[in-house]
Amino acid sequence: MKPLDNASVVEELNRLMAEELEAFLRYFQLRHRLREGEGHDAEKFFEGALEETAEHAEAIAAHIRKLGHTPTMKITVTAGGAPISFREALSEALVFEQQALDAYKELLPRIKGEAALEKFIREQVAVEGEHVQEITQLLKQKS
Amino acid sequence: MVVWKEFDENEVTHSAAHHLMAIDEVGRDYGGWARVSDIARHLNITRGSVSINLRSLTARGLIEQDEHHMVRLTAQGQQIVQGIHANKTVLHAFFRDVLGLSDEQADVDSCKIEHLISNQTARQLARLIHFLHADGADGVKHFKKFKDRCHDPKSCPICKTAQAAGHQDSVLQQLEHTREGINETVGQR
Repeated sequence: MKPLDNASVVEELNRLMAEELEAFLRYFQLRHRLREGEGHDAEKFFEGALEETAEHAEAIAAHIRKLGHTPTMKITVTAGGAPISFREALSEALVFEQQALDAYKELLPRIKGEAALEKFIREQVAVEGEHVQEITQLLKQKS
Repeated sequence: MVVWKEFDENEVTHSAAHHLMAIDEVGRDYGGWARVSDIARHLNITRGSVSINLRSLTARGLIEQDEHHMVRLTAQGQQIVQGIHANKTVLHAFFRDVLGLSDEQADVDSCKIEHLISNQTARQLARLIHFLHADGADGVKHFKKFKDRCHDPKSCPICKTAQAAGHQDSVLQQLEHTREGINETVGQR
């Protein structure tokens, strides 16, 4: 079996960690951009999303440490804009969640043989996939 | 129009300019189509950020997306990219060949303003470069030999502004003015 290209996998994991942390920051800002009276659904969604993205970033950082490296962050987020509806926020969230899902999927074939990491990325693909589905479903309900 | 507001109302922001140029570059080998992941790698930012930024470029008709989430420039997007490339070429030549900056510095500085200057300014700058390089003019040679000396440092707006801003160069410039002034005075005696 071809040995794992440690350095390039760590580079990809750092990218994934940045995706999660950026998503956290975007959720944070989107939550505070919500118009008044968007209700309990919106609050519950953002609480969950914030918790989940932070947990994912934490888990990726732990895997980077296991591979003998320290996490490296490069994040550039500028987010502004007027108050928005929950639907508009979901529509924006779907864009970056779909990208996170695609990024996990793309990494999967490159880590064959690294059992623990492979298991983690598979779980992430499943979780992110569910999350994308959940947002899509919520968007349908709101339209 | 207040000038500083024009900066914000520019056709493309710095970030948008780089996204458009990245799509142009990444897509060159694929019939103009580029993947979000390749654009993200090219710009060294996350895929999430690229996707969010691409939304506004799509809304403005500068790019189009297919069903596989591949993107390419529209005719309008291509026109903007060509304009930015043209501006960058002129600015880079001006900074390196006329002002004598290093290739790297010329690259950094031209990158900062390539999408901000008007076509008219770029055209005139290109004219100036041609003029300075024209046969017999030796403009660049004269400029390189020219020892910076202001004719009227006390009322010169450039010198006054630089001094007020506390630029180190302005102090040196002032010393230069003084030294030249003394030399001239001594020479006249």
